[in-house]
Amino acid sequence: MTEPTGGRPGAALELDHVSRWYGNVVAVNDISFGLGAGVTGLLGPNGAGKSTLLHLMAGLLAPSAGRVLVDGESAWRRPEMYRHLGLVPERETIHAYLTGLEFARLNARLQGVPDADAAAARAIATVDLTEAANRPIGTYSKGMRQRAKIAGALVHDPGILLLDEPFNGMDPRQRLHMMTLLRKMATEGRTILFSSHILEEVERLADSVLVVYAGRLAAAGDFRSIRRLMTDRPHTFTVSSSDDRALASALMADPSVFGAELVAGRVAIRTADYEAFTRALPRIAKAIEATLFEVAPTDDSLESVFSYLVRR
Amino acid sequence: MSVMAPLIDVTLRGLLGRRRTLLLILLVGLPVLIALLIRVSGGRPDADRILDTLVVRTVMPLVALILGTAAIGSEIEDGTAVYLMIKPIPRWKIALAKGLVAAGLTAVLVVPAVVVTGVLLGSGTDAMTAIVGFSVACLVGGSAYAMAFVALSAFTSRALLLGLAYTLIWEGVLSGLLEGTKFLSIRQATLGLAGALGVDVPGDPLVPMVSVAVLVVVLVGAFLLASWKLSRFEIRGGD
Repeated sequence: MTEPTGGRPGAALELDHVSRWYGNVVAVNDISFGLGAGVTGLLGPNGAGKSTLLHLMAGLLAPSAGRVLVDGESAWRRPEMYRHLGLVPERETIHAYLTGLEFARLNARLQGVPDADAAAARAIATVDLTEAANRPIGTYSKGMRQRAKIAGALVHDPGILLLDEPFNGMDPRQRLHMMTLLRKMATEGRTILFSSHILEEVERLADSVLVVYAGRLAAAGDFRSIRRLMTDRPHTFTVSSSDDRALASALMADPSVFGAELVAGRVAIRTADYEAFTRALPRIAKAIEATLFEVAPTDDSLESVFSYLVRR
Repeated sequence: MSVMAPLIDVTLRGLLGRRRTLLLILLVGLPVLIALLIRVSGGRPDADRILDTLVVRTVMPLVALILGTAAIGSEIEDGTAVYLMIKPIPRWKIALAKGLVAAGLTAVLVVPAVVVTGVLLGSGTDAMTAIVGFSVACLVGGSAYAMAFVALSAFTSRALLLGLAYTLIWEGVLSGLLEGTKFLSIRQATLGLAGALGVDVPGDPLVPMVSVAVLVVVLVGAFLLASWKLSRFEIRGGD
């Protein structure tokens, strides 16, 4: 299983204190990790630096500082490495005048695959695009374009596969099919890294996860331990009831709550134990005979989760 | 060199979109149409002057500009260049394929326009000399323009604008006013080559040896620059 670690020797992909900046803007800030075989999810909100990281690993950006290694050698200015590496870019643009099959064949020929026609047909079948294979890509839906891009990246059977938001535009059936395919490829020993801003996608597919936020590596490792970190972080809620003052006072006596104050006609509550608090709240309200009108988490967005992981 | 075939194939298909092809045909049809009008209206046919003014000074650089800047520039702009860059291909081969296609298409469009315009406007030895001289000069000069614009578009997303400024302002105005700027003018070198081939070129074009040297330097230099830049290709956009 993939286990992102700092500077792991023998890793297929390795970043060693990598930074990338554009003028005064730091897109990636001092990130180190190593990846081996398995599926790893690169999780972070939009603008976190996920694409920049993938482009650095794909040799499409030079690091401003640090080293990016693919199979132990620098990824920058080394076209030979693309014999073993496939990339599915996020940008939707793809040669609209080619059919899906022609696009896959073009990729196979450019890769120098011995039987390009057979390899292209195989890749198209793998991504379940055979029926539309002879239609121009310009007529494809977003999900079909994604699959054509994946076919183009698989055509030379790479050992390392980088996918930037690969499930964008896919319907649930296509998504499931693609997840099954990527899992199968990982069990065959390939190193697969995909980016997503959707926690559930990463949860369903990835063995391990890299969380990036504001260009920094917020967390790395086994998905369950990261998930636990996300759940166990301090949470804040606002509660509206028939007797806010009494409720705030009663809640402060509960060990799951470490802060309660009256703010703008509501009780703002801070808790370190999400589950214990959600169990305790109705019980306490009932005990003081207060009616709950509204309970709302105030920091449940992924942004706030990532922000917490960075600050941790 | 087997990788050159798919590179050339995809570049050709990308360049020959319906609108661009129509625009190019209209452009190269312009001198032919004017020659036809002169012929029909009984005006004084002057193949040298028409070919110089309309083809070498106007149509050839514009055709090369459209094709040269689109060959790689439009792919970089729309993001499809990435699919070429993530292949185990030396980047100089990509630059070469783009240059060959842009130069080849420029020649295929411009040289027939020279021949047809020349045939419509003249007869006899002088006309034949003009047709052959301008055809060869446009073949070489058009290739130099095309490669230069391929290189320019590898460096900047404003290649079309800069290329237009080069042909209109630098070559159109400055090289006529400032003597030294002639050496940095593909047009002057093309006219110099045509002059060396016996064409009666107006003005004071570059001498033959210098013309050939300028065209070779532009062709080779632009190819090397484009290769160098593509070997350091960095993707645009992303978060």
